[in-house]
Amino acid sequence: MTSIPRPARSAPVRCAAGGTTAPGARTRVLVVDDDGRIRQALSLALDDEGFAVSTASSGEEAMTLLARDPVDTVLLDLMLPGTDGLTVCRRLRARGDLPIIIVTARSESAEVIAGLEAGADDYVTKPVVAGELAARIRALVRRRRPDTAAATLTIGDVEVRPDEGLVRCHRDGGTADVHLTRTEFRLLVELAVAGGKVVTREDLLRRVWDYDYLGDTRLLDVHIRRLRCKIERDPDHPALVLTVRGSGYRAAVRADADG
Amino acid sequence: MPTVSPRRAGLLQRQLPMTWRVAIAFAAMSMAITGLLAVVTWHLASSYLLSRREQGATTQAAVDAHLVQEVLRDPRRNGPVDLIQGLAGGGDVTVALRRQGTWTVSGPAQDVPALPAELLALAGSGTPARQRVVAAGQPVLAVALPVEGGVYVEVAPLSGLDSSLRFLSAVLAAGVGVSGLLGLGLGSWAGRRALRPLTELRDAAARMAAGDLDARLPEQDDADLAPLAATFNRTADDLQWRVRRDARFAGDVSHELRSPLTTLVNAVAILRRRRDELTPTAQQAVDLLDADVHRFRTMVGDLLEISRDERIDESDLEECDMVDVVTHAVGARPGIVVDVATTPPKVLADRRRLDRVVENLLDNAAHHGGGAVRVGVSPSSDGVRVEVDDAGPGIPVELRKEVFERFSRGGIAGRREDTGGTGLGLALVARHVRAHHGRVRIEESPFGGARVVVEIPRGTT
Repeated sequence: MTSIPRPARSAPVRCAAGGTTAPGARTRVLVVDDDGRIRQALSLALDDEGFAVSTASSGEEAMTLLARDPVDTVLLDLMLPGTDGLTVCRRLRARGDLPIIIVTARSESAEVIAGLEAGADDYVTKPVVAGELAARIRALVRRRRPDTAAATLTIGDVEVRPDEGLVRCHRDGGTADVHLTRTEFRLLVELAVAGGKVVTREDLLRRVWDYDYLGDTRLLDVHIRRLRCKIERDPDHPALVLTVRGSGYRAAVRADADG
Repeated sequence: MPTVSPRRAGLLQRQLPMTWRVAIAFAAMSMAITGLLAVVTWHLASSYLLSRREQGATTQAAVDAHLVQEVLRDPRRNGPVDLIQGLAGGGDVTVALRRQGTWTVSGPAQDVPALPAELLALAGSGTPARQRVVAAGQPVLAVALPVEGGVYVEVAPLSGLDSSLRFLSAVLAAGVGVSGLLGLGLGSWAGRRALRPLTELRDAAARMAAGDLDARLPEQDDADLAPLAATFNRTADDLQWRVRRDARFAGDVSHELRSPLTTLVNAVAILRRRRDELTPTAQQAVDLLDADVHRFRTMVGDLLEISRDERIDESDLEECDMVDVVTHAVGARPGIVVDVATTPPKVLADRRRLDRVVENLLDNAAHHGGGAVRVGVSPSSDGVRVEVDDAGPGIPVELRKEVFERFSRGGIAGRREDTGGTGLGLALVARHVRAHHGRVRIEESPFGGARVVVEIPRGTT
């Protein structure tokens, strides 16, 4: 037993490098939307963008499909009949680190926060355009491969092995593996590689999400919060992932712990 | 008491606020009552004093006349001259005796023979008489009494009484004045008190006019005011509901449009990708479709944005560096000079809306002014100023307010199809700037076109 805080929705998942997609194969996307015409138009357009698209009209159908045929990314409309999108999102996240992009009605609404809190990796706003969506999906799939040569990185008592996609806590005399989503993992690696130097919000958004839009800091803030919940001893008083007010975030180095 | 002519009264009614009119009415009423009281008091007091004085003078004269009579009757005495001088005694009373047509006078030089002939004649015929007359400019009381073989006259001044009455009238006039002032004060207090619900009504209406649709009147206990408050609040409820419904309608329509729009946008994307497989005519059609679907999409986004609540959520506020915002927005557009002379202060703002403001200004310059040529960022009196200059045709002075209206075509109807704008860009700019308590205006650019100036205050940190 360890005393490492672990949120309820985090379940043991494989976070290792290498996906289920064979090299050269098309990235598989599941589009979940209750509007048939949208499903059809998105399938055609995403197919054009080079993705293998399957569709589902409800959350239940999506769960059934996923149980049978794994995919690389789920595009999930939050407005679904029956089981709503947020619930589906939480269930999918509980089952693993499958990349999820949610489709929200309004970018400014609390829906975005709720969706990200439910475990989504990214979000797009209606009307969804295949070209923009393709960029998001590619960024998300790429997120699995951090571009660092280092075999092992450390932040405080947390050990990160980018190659293996492994995060291990050495705490209270014990050792425990922490299971992060690929977005959380990538964030942690970016901060660890910087070695205690400040990484600006803009840089983090660009490196992790390929976002060239500084305005949306909610995306980053929610993921940082989720990351802290998994690796910090006390998420309310973070000692590993530190906020630099008005600028960005940085990983704690030895000096921080000593001081 | 002030007199007010009807015309002046009309002017007062029209120009003076109600509290003042009530106060003036109170003052006038109180002055009228105290004035009437003062006049009555003055008359009563003066006639009482006068009669007392007359009575005193008459009695004194009768006593003196009796003495003179005795002297005249006593043959041992050598005439009344000594007595008359003694009676006058250097006081302010003049004593005179007429015997056989000769006057013996003592006292302040009073012209006794000049007294009215009727008075002397009446006394001469044996009847005591008295009369108030003016002698040498002084009010005096003349008492004429018959004595043996002549007329005895005493002339007493009334000037002492006059000064008493003057003092009394001064006191009464002051009293009237004070009561007028008290009436004014009381009236103004009462007027204000009576009008307090109206003041609340005015404040609530003003708040509502300023955009605060939550403004309501407190419940009134007064039976006269309760219906007014209730009516006002009901009207406010209706108005608020209608405004919300209208705002929601635009939002709902845009919301509903997004599903077919998603289908459209993606279907057009598929066509565009296969443009080369199409005939030239079909290619043109696809180009048209593509451009307008894009504009449609922007317009729906703008409509959604403009139908949103204008107020900024506190959680969306952050310290924003305007230079950052501008640099970021200009980054993707070539040929625009970013001009930062002095480092401006950071502002507490919604970064998303600031981005939108700058993007829209650049879009606007691109659509109507041939593209922005310079974007200036500088400190303003209370925050930061952004200037977007273009070298286009500029905007005439009379249209500089109008272009911030929704779907304003800037007076050039029919030209919008050339521009690609949605007609909402500057309206959104104005809205977002207003939400930040900032200012936006259009000036002439030194580059020949229009200059849009946006000023965002620093905000409270």
